[in-house]
Amino acid sequence: MSTGEPLIVLEAVNKWFGPLHVLHDVSLSVGKGEVVVVIGPSGSGKSTLCRTINRLEPIDSGTITFDGRPLPAEGKALARLRSEVGMVFQSFNLFAHKTILENVTLGPVKVRKEKPAAARERALALLDRVGIANQAEKYPAQLSGGQQQRAAIARALAMQPKALLFDEPTSALDPEMVGEVLDVMTSLAREGMTMVVVTHEMGFARHAANRVIFMADGQLVEDAPPAEFFANPRSERARDFLSKILTH
Amino acid sequence: MRIKRVAALAVAAALSVGLAACGGDSDEGTGAGSKSFAAGSTMEKLNKAQKIKIGTKFDQPGFGLKGLSGKPEGFDVEIAKIIVKELGIPEDKIEWVETPSKVREDSIVNGTVDLVAATYTINDKRKERIAFAGPYYEAGQNIMVRKDDSSITGPDSFKDGTKKVCSVVGSTPLEEIKKHVKDVATQVVPFDTYDKCRDALKQGQVDAVTTDNVILLGYIAKDEASFKMAGDNFTKEPYGIGVKKEDAAFRTFINDTLEKAFADGSWKKAWDNTAGKFGATLGNPPTVNRY
Amino acid sequence: MNVLIDRFDVFAGGFWLTFQICLLAAIGALILGAVVAVLRISPVPPLRAVGTAYVTVFRNMPLTVVMFFAAFGLPALGSNADFLRIPLLDQVFSRLGADLPYFRFALIALVLYTAAFVCEALRSGVNAVPPGQAEAARSLGLTFGQNLRHVVLPQSWKASVVPLGSVIIAMIKNSALVGFFGVAGDLSQSADQLTSAEGYAFIPVAIGISIGYLIMTVPLGALLDRLEKRQAVAR
Repeated sequence: MSTGEPLIVLEAVNKWFGPLHVLHDVSLSVGKGEVVVVIGPSGSGKSTLCRTINRLEPIDSGTITFDGRPLPAEGKALARLRSEVGMVFQSFNLFAHKTILENVTLGPVKVRKEKPAAARERALALLDRVGIANQAEKYPAQLSGGQQQRAAIARALAMQPKALLFDEPTSALDPEMVGEVLDVMTSLAREGMTMVVVTHEMGFARHAANRVIFMADGQLVEDAPPAEFFANPRSERARDFLSKILTH
Repeated sequence: MRIKRVAALAVAAALSVGLAACGGDSDEGTGAGSKSFAAGSTMEKLNKAQKIKIGTKFDQPGFGLKGLSGKPEGFDVEIAKIIVKELGIPEDKIEWVETPSKVREDSIVNGTVDLVAATYTINDKRKERIAFAGPYYEAGQNIMVRKDDSSITGPDSFKDGTKKVCSVVGSTPLEEIKKHVKDVATQVVPFDTYDKCRDALKQGQVDAVTTDNVILLGYIAKDEASFKMAGDNFTKEPYGIGVKKEDAAFRTFINDTLEKAFADGSWKKAWDNTAGKFGATLGNPPTVNRY
Repeated sequence: MNVLIDRFDVFAGGFWLTFQICLLAAIGALILGAVVAVLRISPVPPLRAVGTAYVTVFRNMPLTVVMFFAAFGLPALGSNADFLRIPLLDQVFSRLGADLPYFRFALIALVLYTAAFVCEALRSGVNAVPPGQAEAARSLGLTFGQNLRHVVLPQSWKASVVPLGSVIIAMIKNSALVGFFGVAGDLSQSADQLTSAEGYAFIPVAIGISIGYLIMTVPLGALLDRLEKRQAVAR
């Protein structure tokens, strides 16, 4: 799927939360159309890494470029960049006071200044695509977790982003709903969407990812194709991590 | 036992007589039973109790101002002392109670104080709830202006609606000046203290301060370079002693006492030592109004 | 209790003036308070500092001091607060346009003081909105202003209504101070006029004044309760 042309490039990125060094000289390049899955024990910095890419978390040193441009400082330019990078959160974060349809059309109408009718038409198509067209007029609280997360994906897709960031998208879901969300993500991966996915779903990593990144203690420890990583992890820490999650 | 107790009482009585005798001139003739009053009268009760509660102001220079001594000083206070002396009670048995304008009637009606001497203007409205002895002084409302201002000559100078005048919230002078202005909303400036009025006058925010002449004289005495009086008193504010409405005997007693003080010079002496220092003239004693 | 009937004009006049100053001050404080709240939550550090400084100063100073600065500081600086002589508005609220500036000074003091509390009430509402809401809006590319307008404020409103109501009710009661700073004839001053200067008994007058304030505060409280309930139902 990957064209090899880099879309997201991190170089020597460092970040501290007070005394805690959460990102330690992280360098990473994600090509257009590539699907990169980030795994690692909790507290390893993988969520923070994901959130630095659209600058929800500012970094202390290093550079991040998106589509050839360095991330701008807070302001209009950053807002424009963020509109090109979709993000899906662990806790969905659908706007609680708006209907599902309004959630999906808000960005296109307010940020892209699309005509409401056109935005609505595309939103309904996206909701249909993620399988919840019949929920369009409901409020988020009326939907199940799986439905909410699919709505959140539709909301991100409505901006026609160049890349999608997933921050543990299935961690807050009941087990029976994980599948429906992963199905949507898998189909997006197949269609060539550039994706950075922080997850514990090893199945998804195994068959949908182009590369698996393993992080521990704020460092990028391994970077390998999934088949190679799962069959033959090079580092002790990765082996240890895999043994813990795969025995269950 | 009985004999011992009687003896002890006799010693105590002798001691107290001795102490009273040592009190000097001002306490002459004080002590329980030192004067004879009609049985059951307020005077008799106070004389027997040998203490009295008097309401006065603690913030009125020249009349009732509590200073460093911790006790109020001023003309009202001196007048009250003359009455207390006549009751046969020593000065140091007076309990001074602060009675700002707002609480004077209620303090008398509720019995919080036995009498009020607090720049207390006699008027009919107040007579509905309490009674007045006196007057012992005739004050009057006047107007203070900036020294260089000759455009204000009296209350009628406010009629054209341009001059602004300041006084204190809830005071009679404030209500009085409202009758002389064209538009209360744009001409009358109330503050909580006369000090603020004075500052506003000095700054030029208002053109005049109005209240009783004695208060204004106090301010002029302190800053003659800035302020002056504009014309004569335009109201008569007879200051009286407030007592319970139904207590006619006490009122008569105070009236008699005041007349005696007018005659024997103690009234003038009280004035000269207090408000008189501000340069205000006292004039002749007012006529006591025995209504 | 005759005073309530005999001097009804004094109570009514006082009520009307207090009502005017409270209405104007409430509008002013809500607007200024919202601006300060936006400063305090803005992503730009210097603006945040300005907002925080504002709240620190005006929330911690006694209102009498603020009133004093307005009544004596502004004239010392040569200002008569003429910018508040707003055309049309001064037709309804005649003292706004009057030559005598104390109504405007008192209004400025009440607005400055109350805005600090309005800001904090609004901010507590904003803080009650889960941070993920604003994050989701940011990641969609909404600007700070759009984020506030479309996502955060509509949701914070519900949590702000009750504290805001308390702030405005406190302001109505605080307005009793204006009479001591050059504004003639507000509701509290009516009490002083009737008791001190005219010699009416204190209790009936106090009852009359209390009724005046309750007429303003009780319906406001009821209105806020209803607003809150309606918002709750809408969820």
